[in-house]
Amino acid sequence: MLTWLEQRTGFVSMTKGFLTEDIPGGASYWYVFGSATLFAMILQIVTGIFLTFWYAPSASTAWESTKAMYDNGFQHFVLSVHYWGASAMIALVFLHMLQALVWGAYKSPRELQWIVGVLLFIVTLVLGLTGYLLPWDMNAYFASQVAINISGTAPILGPFIQRFLQDGPVMGTLTINRFFGVHVWLMPAALVALVGAHLAIFRHNGPAGPPVEDPRPRRPGRFWPDQMFMDTAISFFVFLVILFLSAVLPPFLDQKADPTNVTFVPYPAWYFLALFGLLNIMPPSLELFGTIIIPTVVVIILLALPWLDRSTLRTFGSRAPILLATTTIVVAVVALSVFSQVSIQAKQGAAAQNPAPPPPPVGPVAGTSVSTAGGANAGQKVFAANCSSCHGAAGAGVPGAFPPLAGNPFVTGDKSKVINVLINGLHGKIQIKGSTYNGQMPAWKGTLTNSDIANVITYIRSAWGNKASAVTTADVAKQAK
Amino acid sequence: MSNPSIDVAGAQPAKRKLLSAYDDPGTHEEITRRTFMANATLTISGIIGVGLAIPIIGSLLPKGGEGAGTWSPMTADEWRKLQAATEKPVKLSFALKSKDAYLPEEAVAQFVWGIKSSVEKMRKARPDLFAAAGKSTLPYDVVNLGFVIFSPICPHLGCRYDWNDSSNRFLCPCHGSQYSFEGAHLAGPAPRGLDPLPLREQSGVAEVTWIRYEQSTPDRIVISYTS
Repeated sequence: MLTWLEQRTGFVSMTKGFLTEDIPGGASYWYVFGSATLFAMILQIVTGIFLTFWYAPSASTAWESTKAMYDNGFQHFVLSVHYWGASAMIALVFLHMLQALVWGAYKSPRELQWIVGVLLFIVTLVLGLTGYLLPWDMNAYFASQVAINISGTAPILGPFIQRFLQDGPVMGTLTINRFFGVHVWLMPAALVALVGAHLAIFRHNGPAGPPVEDPRPRRPGRFWPDQMFMDTAISFFVFLVILFLSAVLPPFLDQKADPTNVTFVPYPAWYFLALFGLLNIMPPSLELFGTIIIPTVVVIILLALPWLDRSTLRTFGSRAPILLATTTIVVAVVALSVFSQVSIQAKQGAAAQNPAPPPPPVGPVAGTSVSTAGGANAGQKVFAANCSSCHGAAGAGVPGAFPPLAGNPFVTGDKSKVINVLINGLHGKIQIKGSTYNGQMPAWKGTLTNSDIANVITYIRSAWGNKASAVTTADVAKQAK
Repeated sequence: MSNPSIDVAGAQPAKRKLLSAYDDPGTHEEITRRTFMANATLTISGIIGVGLAIPIIGSLLPKGGEGAGTWSPMTADEWRKLQAATEKPVKLSFALKSKDAYLPEEAVAQFVWGIKSSVEKMRKARPDLFAAAGKSTLPYDVVNLGFVIFSPICPHLGCRYDWNDSSNRFLCPCHGSQYSFEGAHLAGPAPRGLDPLPLREQSGVAEVTWIRYEQSTPDRIVISYTS
């Protein structure tokens, strides 16, 4: 069979040739960052392809088709994997790049590999940015509006870039279509081409290896199966982490984009928090520095780095200035990110005083938000994962379809009745705040634990201006019998 | 770790400069370890593939549900046209209320064919629609208010057939299936006669609804029907 294939295609010897590769100094877990990033990219491409089976890019279907995905267990899971896969890919790109910086792997003769890597970093961020708009919920709309308008402040070309991204004077169907085209075709095509170049150059030069001066000749190791096994093991770990996060903390869909909302506090994806912070600490007169000039300068420095640091020495002792600069930038990025996260939560807390949505924070750097009772904090997560798609992140419901929870006297009334609805579900006509609803509240007994039910009731009884007593797991257990 | 077997490569002077990790077969333990790593790599890759395939295939399973459409009113003009019908079929336009996935319900322009007939005539012309006891084999009556309504979808492969006056029969343009005035299959590849649709009167307004039957089967298998 293999001989038959080999005689006609040469695929077998081609694969062997590809796998039979020396690893100078032997296989190492230090070399897995690139392959783990590659794995995350493949995961994104596979899940992304299937998301296009259900997603429909237009202002009247983007949110609706996303909502339909959230309502289908498997589709929601594939979407969650894509969501967490994006975070994983960006985190791994950061690590991979940081390693190249610290090890001085960008030095001659690997300058071009480094430059392609910087371009891949930018493409990955563009993918994150364009994907952020697609669900077309409140945060997607306002966060993308901010991003597009920042591009508009760039000198000379700004207004044109802004119109170009928006494809019109305001955001709408054409903007969604444009972001969709960039997100699913243009950037992935660029990504695959650049990754091909990155790998081809890598095979040409081989790995740079650790930055040590070792006079002993290094005994080479094997790519297959030694290095491949390490790569696969780490990719598998990344895969399991992504699956775990997708199952435990799936993304949530807020209400459909409503341009008339004046209290919504948009928040960026965690990997843009540092840029967001840079914008926030700049006085208005220097805003352009935070939004355009500093990021542009950083990119230019990264691209020019192999020529700014020409020494061929790679040991840590000989590269103090570069290592110091790298450390400073990493510390600054982390500090700005934390600062941004704290300030967003403060704003959201303030907005929550008015009846406005306190959306849960996004991404691994995010902590928990809106400090109330511990039960309410846990309940917010349960709510975001299970309830917010119908009742809205702000508990505002959908008029005529799903009753509001904010300001709903039933929710803040007799807690045993609320517990009963969560345990057994509810159907038939009900009257809430003058509107009639005739929907189906599912029974959550069996799906959620008693403590989840207690926490989420505590949350909905204390969020969005509701002020009612907490519910304990014992209360729920008593009624769940 | 010193490796005595490296001398094997050393025995071939020509290869000395190009010594590759693959020229050295390694110790027995190394070979065992590599076999394990190769198998583990393939197994883990398989697990990842299956782990991805399960949710993806699950998510692709088509949805069931109502689909097609619900009872939709005929305009007074179309209804008068049908009442005036004699020995020729009447093409009746109406707006079918339908729901497509998550899109809001909308009215889609559709048409049906109507003929003036009676249960006796239909039983004679279309025995396939009636059971032995004279009851309709469909989940509704074939003749309603003195008329029979036909779905405009050819039972063969779903084209829209038309009435041909000169031959006095329905002709499908796609593959040439032919049907009588009462919808009996006369010629062509179709496996059965035309499919009747329900008709009813609600407070003075005639209403029709849409039923999808499986294409190209001798028996009528309902795909979607909202009664």
